[in-house]
Parts: sequence; structure tokens; C-alpha cells
Amino acid sequence: MAKITLNINKKEYPMEADPQMPLLWAIRDLAGLKGTKYGCGVAQCGACVVHLDGEAVRSCVTKVSRAAGKQVVTIEGLSETNSHPAQLAWQEIDVPQCGYCHSGQIMSAAVLLREKPDPTDQDIDDAMAGNICRCGTYLRIRKAIHLAADMQKKTTTKG
Amino acid sequence: MKQDPSNRANQFVSLKAALFVSILLFIFAVGASAFRKDAPVKEVSLNIINRDSTESVKAFETVYKTLMSPRCMNCHPAGNVPLQGDDSHLHAMAPKRGVEGKGVSAMKCSNCHQETNTPGLHMPPGNPEWHLPPATMKMVFEGKSAHELAEQLMDKKKNGNKDIKKLIEHADDGLVLAGWNPGEGRTLPPVTHAEFKKAWITWLQTGAYAPKK
Amino acid sequence: MNNDKTALDRRSFLKASLISGGGLMLSVSWLSSFKAADKTETLNLPDQWAQLNGYILITADNKVKLICPNPEFGQNVMTSLPMIVAEELDVDWKNVTVEMGPHDEVKLGPQFTGGSNSMKMYWKPLREAGAAARQMLREAAAQTWNVPVGEVTTKAGILSHSNGKSAKYGDMASKAASVPVPKEFQLKAPKDFTIVRHSKKNVEAQKIVSGKPVFGLDYSVDGMLIAMIQHPPAFGMKLKSFDAAETLKMPGIKDVFTLKLYEDGFEQGGFDTRTFNELLVVVGKSTWEVMNARKKLIANWEAAGDLKNTIGGRNGKTEVTVPGTIESTRTQLQQMQEYAAKPAQLLRKDVDPEAAFTNAAQVIERTYNGPFLAHNCMEPMNFFAHVTDEKALLVGPLQAPGWIEPTLAKLLNLPADKIEIQMTRMGGGFGRRAYGHYLSEAALISRKVKAPVKLMYTREDDMTYGIYRPMYTATYRAALDANKNLIAFHVKGGGIPEHPIHANRFPAGAVDHYLAEGWQIPSNITIGAFRAPRSNFNAAAEQSFLDEVAEAAGKDPIEFRLELLKRAKEKPVGKNNEYDADRYAGVLELVRDKSNWNKAGNEKYNRGVAAYFCHNSYAAHVVDMVTRDGQPYVERVFSAIDCGIVINPDAATNMVQGAVVDGIGNSFYGALTHKDGVPQQSNFHNYRMIRIHEAPKSIDVHFVQNDLDPTGLGEPPFPPVFGAVANALYKMKGRRFYNQPFKEEVEKVI
Repeated sequence: MAKITLNINKKEYPMEADPQMPLLWAIRDLAGLKGTKYGCGVAQCGACVVHLDGEAVRSCVTKVSRAAGKQVVTIEGLSETNSHPAQLAWQEIDVPQCGYCHSGQIMSAAVLLREKPDPTDQDIDDAMAGNICRCGTYLRIRKAIHLAADMQKKTTTKG
Repeated sequence: MKQDPSNRANQFVSLKAALFVSILLFIFAVGASAFRKDAPVKEVSLNIINRDSTESVKAFETVYKTLMSPRCMNCHPAGNVPLQGDDSHLHAMAPKRGVEGKGVSAMKCSNCHQETNTPGLHMPPGNPEWHLPPATMKMVFEGKSAHELAEQLMDKKKNGNKDIKKLIEHADDGLVLAGWNPGEGRTLPPVTHAEFKKAWITWLQTGAYAPKK
Repeated sequence: MNNDKTALDRRSFLKASLISGGGLMLSVSWLSSFKAADKTETLNLPDQWAQLNGYILITADNKVKLICPNPEFGQNVMTSLPMIVAEELDVDWKNVTVEMGPHDEVKLGPQFTGGSNSMKMYWKPLREAGAAARQMLREAAAQTWNVPVGEVTTKAGILSHSNGKSAKYGDMASKAASVPVPKEFQLKAPKDFTIVRHSKKNVEAQKIVSGKPVFGLDYSVDGMLIAMIQHPPAFGMKLKSFDAAETLKMPGIKDVFTLKLYEDGFEQGGFDTRTFNELLVVVGKSTWEVMNARKKLIANWEAAGDLKNTIGGRNGKTEVTVPGTIESTRTQLQQMQEYAAKPAQLLRKDVDPEAAFTNAAQVIERTYNGPFLAHNCMEPMNFFAHVTDEKALLVGPLQAPGWIEPTLAKLLNLPADKIEIQMTRMGGGFGRRAYGHYLSEAALISRKVKAPVKLMYTREDDMTYGIYRPMYTATYRAALDANKNLIAFHVKGGGIPEHPIHANRFPAGAVDHYLAEGWQIPSNITIGAFRAPRSNFNAAAEQSFLDEVAEAAGKDPIEFRLELLKRAKEKPVGKNNEYDADRYAGVLELVRDKSNWNKAGNEKYNRGVAAYFCHNSYAAHVVDMVTRDGQPYVERVFSAIDCGIVINPDAATNMVQGAVVDGIGNSFYGALTHKDGVPQQSNFHNYRMIRIHEAPKSIDVHFVQNDLDPTGLGEPPFPPVFGAVANALYKMKGRRFYNQPFKEEVEKVI
């Protein structure tokens, strides 16, 4: 066990943790933020995606020690008022069915939207193929990312 | 272009000789800058003391079977998606190479591949530099014959402008070494790293001859 | 008819009461309103239904809260069921909030999610609930304004009279609570619907996209411990001995112990299926600590031998022996071949199929195989339990609280009213969460450690535990006469451990001579509902076979089916044909038209069609396949569905699109195989799931427009995807595919 302070969503979380503990369990069990999901534990499904210094890492295989001193952002902190374009577009297109995978989907989409503000279907498939949706909402995910890109452009133009 | 003594009777003797020479060569090569202008492969600066096509081709057999083993080939795919597993299937979730070979947007290699192997079966193997060859230098192994692979390895236009010295150094590259520390449940390359390295250097320093096929 | 005046029968009652702070709470109950669910599907429903009560709460400040009775697993009932109430209540949807109801079947009816039953079960009762409450509000306004009730109209939560008076529902709610329950009220005509048939967004979407703790795994209380079970590595094995010394030294670990789930002779309900009876349990403070410590367990396993199960039922107890055989996929296939050659149970016979086959000009015989499939819900099985000597609280994801409650009562020796079950949103279900063994396990663990506990399955635990779609096979035979007319049809199907045959489904009724037979092989590999398990296998096999027969008959596959359906309608053969030939033909015609079947412009596609009827709804798909990167890829799909009135069209479309993607994924990749009893797939690295780049570019969903009472959508669109994919593969590869998963067979062929 070691004393580690995680910065999650711009807030400090001092904790006692095994440095080998995956970031996922530190976020869920120690910081108590449940939006980040466990799906497979072996970096296959993407339900646990969080941002680590802006990258869409899979928290189930990322040791908590890797996150120390870095900025962790989870779905709860993606935007101040749950108004990230992907969050809005997901609701507008009514993407979720069971909904379990979607915090991971949105966290992946957010990195795509930052790096490719105007993604093609191919870009979306390339970026999102790591996130499994068992209910099969993939077509709506594509649609929502396109809509989010449009929303993002408008916000950028205004701002 | 290629010489092929195809003198089977000599092979055993020359193998031993080559081993001896190559050890000397290795020591020599580190500091030496001598090269021969009449090297069979143009554009490459060679630190060669003793060219021997038989020895070279023989050494390349070991090099080839190593590079074509899953631990090496899986990150040198023919397409833009790495391979996975001992059967070298396309990597699940089809991560794309990207310009630098480090993946794209939400699918960067280091999103899953940590600095070290993640413990457990079926867990992502790790390395601080985990990546594919970049888009400008794909260095494809998959599907290449020994001849094609040897030529490609020596082609500065395709090998990242590596001369013999750089190529020799590359045997100790962190990602090359990672092939011998593949994480739980994965088979090792067919020879040890030391054996590979010896064959690699022998091949290079006896003229880097490409096998006929 | 829908717009007739509806009278409550003698056995019905309504109960109105004032809620604190003012307002109306209306509990409604209609035993008569319940249509018994279709008992022919795999998810057989309990014999006794509780009464239904729908909750409507209207507060003085005009807020309307509707309670969703059924658990939500992604089929969107939390939105669509309240839409039905809101429609008849005539409120502004913007003022409606929805809450998941507690488990209380006296007040809320049979709170079961599965078998595509929610709409079918709740359509009438929920309409009546809304209409009765509206009537009471009108009555209250009529008394207040001293006008005849017939002159009080409503619109979007406003009561009005032509004399200019108007009031919000909230203003009249308290008064309405004292109004006698109406004996008669009017239901809306479908043409007047303003909420139903108008797409409404998922009421929980914002919670989902912002990471609110709505799922079972997210539920947590102070002092909660985490438990995991180490189950045997193979089916047919049990714990012999264990050494937990190293585990107990690990940080955070509280206890390691064994627990017997059911005592010998314990009378199991139909959904008390469990794979392993003796549990090796690790309990600790946090997930990671327990996960890690469990790896240090030294456990020895041995063959379990035959297992005796006591199954309770209407006609008393039955003893069932589960063989202890250690099975492998290879031996299972061999065994299935042996059984297939033996005489089987006769399920239906029309006229003289034997003679027809003997005299046929041409006989086509084909055999189809399908493997076990794992559900792989994204949220693995888990449940919270806090059990004391006096009571039990259980919280988590499950489809059928009413089926597990009696089991818990017996296991815990507590009266049912001391067992509180709360249903969280489920991260997928697909039939898997109808089997409540994981609640029983959680409850017993909590009782043993005397603390609140979250039992959690890892992905590997979940995938290797069992309760799979069964392994199936079926041999189909068709007899054609000299004019290439289909004169006889024979299906003989079997499975481990149940057969897939629905003997009274199409093409039964459409062929002169018909024979259906079934056989089954007992096994210790547990099985369960899986998005219409038998139907999804049948729709792959039968719809692929009919395609082949159509070709042999020289007919277009859609026209061939339509001709058979015409026959089934005009001169049906035999009795008990389950399907409505018109509605079946309707989806085929719709998909034919929408996909421009046989029309120019589709040359680049390998087109496959299939249709199927199950769970009271009809579905047909045209799948357009291309070769991409050397692999078959379904680029485009057209779907036609008849499920009666579509409550929430966009959400229904979403569900059909999802079913199509799921069907493509499972038909291409789905398989759970065994070697020496050990499941050969344990996580998503070797159980391949369809991903976004493999999903079609478009799935065009079309609903047949009619005013028939709604039926469900969870299952029906799924099965025919398999058949359509098989038929498109044939067009692409020039040979038929008989074995799921198709991807594996395609690779063998290449």
C-alpha cells in the first residue's frame, strides 16, 4: 500500500492504494465515482475509458501509479454541466439502450472530436472500434458523433 | 547481383569460421568506420571484414524465422492493423497504425499497452515505446519471402535510412527485446535473443546476402 | 375496440388517496386486464399472476410522476410504459417524471422483463389507469365548477369548460382523490394519440451520459463488502478441497468459506437454475483486493458426478438427474449425430408425410448446427444483499424479481414481505438476468458474513458460468413434386439439453404433409433464455433451408414464401398454427418494397432475405452483403416489423437496429465451446463481439402501420437476421452455410 493522490476531474483525491491497482478500481472504489464502468478487465471492451492527460486510456489495465501527478478526467468531469457536445448529441440522437457502455463510448468520442473535429465515418470506426456495445447502438454512435462535431463547430465559431 | 557459391561441402566449415569472424567483427564494428565500396547491396555502408554469401544466407535463416515469428511479425503487418496472438490474427478492435505508428485518436497503442507487461493471461503486453513502424516506413514482415525481407531490411529507403551500424544496434532496441518478454501465455520467438542477435550480425557482416527465395 | 367505453369488471378496484402535501395518488388494479403471456416461448411465465396496480401521482404543483413497473434493461420501458399512462391521462409529457417502481407485485403487477412481454402485458392496464385518473380529475372539476362532467374537457394537463373556467390537473388533484372511482370511462381512439406513436426520448438518457450510478454495480452503501465466488473450472466438476492461507494474508480480505446454495431436496422454481451448488467464496473490503486475493486460492476440484435436482411445479415435485459427464464440443457433436439418427418425440404430424416423401420427385435434406452462446451482458452478473435475521434487502440488476422472491424466502427462511428487492437499471439482460441464482448467492453470503455485501462476477466468471443459449441441431427435409411444388416438410431438431422446435410455426399450416420431431440430450451445461433461443436458431436454419428449397423450386425466395403464406391463409393445414399468415406476409411485402428487391440498382450487393414470427410480432430483413478487405461485410439492411401499434417509434427503431447488429455479430462470431468441460472462451479476447467497424452503414427500419394492440420487440427482430445473413453468404460464396458461427465456416472454406 502507498499513499497516492489522484487528480480526478480537477479535484484531489488522497488515497491509500496498492500502486499496482488498476486506475479503474481506484476511481470506482476509492474515489467513489461510478460512471466509469467495469466490462472486461482486459482492455477489450472500452467501458472503462477515462482521460489521462487527455488520452483515452483504459483504466482497467492502467496502474494507479501511472496516473499519479496526471490529470484524470472521468465521464462525471467531462464537462461542467454535462454539456459536452458528445453528451448532448448522445441524448439528441437517443443513442443508449441499456446504457452501460456509453460513458466509455463518450470518453473515446471526446478524444476523437478533439483530434479530428470533422470526422468521417471511417475516422469514427477507427476511433471507436475499441468500445463494445452489446446492444448494437453503433449506427447511432456514428450519427451522434457527426452531430457532436457540428455542435462543436458552432460553439467554436461563436466562442 | 547476388552471388551464390552453393557449395554445400564448404558450409559446415564456413559456418564455424563465420561464427568466429562475426564475434571479432562485432567488436571491430563498434568503432570501425571502414566500409567497402563494392558491397553487393548499394547505398549501404558495410563494416565487413569477410563477405561470405553462404554464411550470410545461412545466418539469415535464423533471422528470418525469428522475424516471421508472431512476436516480431505481429507488429510488422502487411496492412495498417497490427496482428495478435500466436496465430497472428488481426488485432481485435482493429487499431490503426496512424502516421507515427502509435495509433489514432481514441485508439492509441499506449491507451492499453503500458510501460510494462500487464500481469495475467490475455493482458496487453507493454513497453514504453510500444508502436508499429510509422506510415512512412512500414517495414512489413507479414507475407514476405526470405529474399524479399532481406532486401527490404537492407534498403535504406525502406529501413528508416539505417546503415549497418544502425541495423546492428537495432537488435538491442527496446521493442525488439520486448519480443523476448512477451507477457504471460505467449510463445517466445524460436531462438533466444542472443542467438538471434548473433545470426543478425553474422548476416549483416558477411554481406547481408538475400536468400534466393 | 380501442375506443369503446370500457367498464371495470367486478373484480377490479381502484383506490384513490390523498398524498401528503396535497395531490392524488391512484392505485389501480385489474386482474382482468392481464392478457396471459404467450406460454409457448421458452420464458414460461408463472402460473399465478398478481394483480396489477399502476401508480399515478399528481402533485398540487402540477407535476406528474409515473412509476415504471418493469425493470429496464435497454428496451426502454421506463419511457414507453409511462407514455401509455400519460397518453390516456392526457398530460403534457414535459411535466412527467418517471421512477422505477419497487418490487411490489400487489401494487404494480407482474414486474417481469423478458419474452417481449412488457407492451403486451401492460398496454391495456396502463391505458385504463390513465383514463380512469383523467375521468376522476374531470369529475372533480365538474363538482367544483358545478357543471356536468360531460362538459369538462382536458388537454395536456388542463381541465376546461366552455364557460371559460379552466384549471390545471394539480389544482384538482386533491379533490379528485375523494371522487368515487368511475365505473366507466373512455379510452382514446388511436387517431387521437398525441404521445403514443410520437417519439419520446429516453427518460434516463441524461443520467447515462453523465455517469450517474444507475446500474447494479454502481450501488453502494457504507460498510459494504465485496464478495467473489471461485467456481469450478469445468462443467461437471465440484470443489474437493481448498487452502486459503495465502488468500487470507492478502490485504483487505475478511473471510474465505464454502457455502451450499441449495440443500439436498431443495425445491427449485423454474428459474432457479444454477450451475454449481457449492460455492467457494472470498469476501473482502474492495473489488481489487478480492480479485487479487482470489488468485492466491489453492483449490482442488473433482468430478461432481450426477446431480439430483428437485424441481417444483404445478403438479408437485419432480426429480431430475443431471449427468456428471465431462463434455467437450467434439463429443457433443458426435452425441448429437447419434441422437439425430434415433427415433424422436413426435411434435406434430399433418396428413401423411412419409408417403409424400416416398413419392416425391425431389427430396432436399439439410442439417444445421448452432453452438452454445453466452449472453455477455456488458454489466457482469452482480447483486447487493443485506440479510439479517429479520429481513433482507437486495438491490441490483434482474429481469424477474417475482420469480426469485419465493426462492429467497425459502433459502433465508423469511416471509416474502420481509424481503425487499430493488431493481436497478441493467447493463443488458437478453434473458440472462431472468435466472436469479446470483441473488440467492449474494443473500446467503451476506447472511453468513453478517454485513451488506456486493457479489460480483468478473467477466471471466460471467462467461464461464453457464446459462447459455443451448447447443442445437436440426435436419430439415422438403419434398417437391414433379411440378416443383412443395408437398411435404419435415423438421427433426435436437439440442443440449433442449430441442429448438416450435412445431406449430410456419411453414406448418402451409404444406400438405408436415412432420415435426424433437429430441434432447441431458447435460450439466446449464442453459437459459437468450433473446428467443429456439427461435434464433430456427430462424437461421429454417429460413436458410426455405431459401434453398425456393431455389430448387425455381422461385424467388420472397415470392415462394408469400405463396406458402397465401396457402396457409386460404386453406390452412392442421390446427394450432401460431402465426397470422396475413401479418407474416405483410412484413415480407413491406421489406420487399422498401429494399427494392429484384429491382435494378442493387447489383453490387449479395442480398439475403428472411422473415420470422415469434413472441407475437413479425419481422423480416433484407441483408445486403459485400466483400470488404476480403471478408463478408453486411453494409446495408432493410427491416420490416409488425408489432401492432408502435408506442415510441424512434426507440423501437433503435431496438430493431440493435437486434440486427446483434444478429450479425452472433451469427458471424458467437460460440461458446468446451474442452473437457472447460469453456474455451472466457473474455472478449476470444469471444468475439461485433464492433462498430463491422456494423452496417445503414439499417432502414419500417413498421407496418395498423391499430392492433402492441406486442413486443425485444426478441422478434433478432432471429431472422441469422437466416438473412446465411442467405446473403450463399449469394456471395456460391455455397450454403450450415454451421454457426458463419465466420468460422467461411474461414474454413477460404
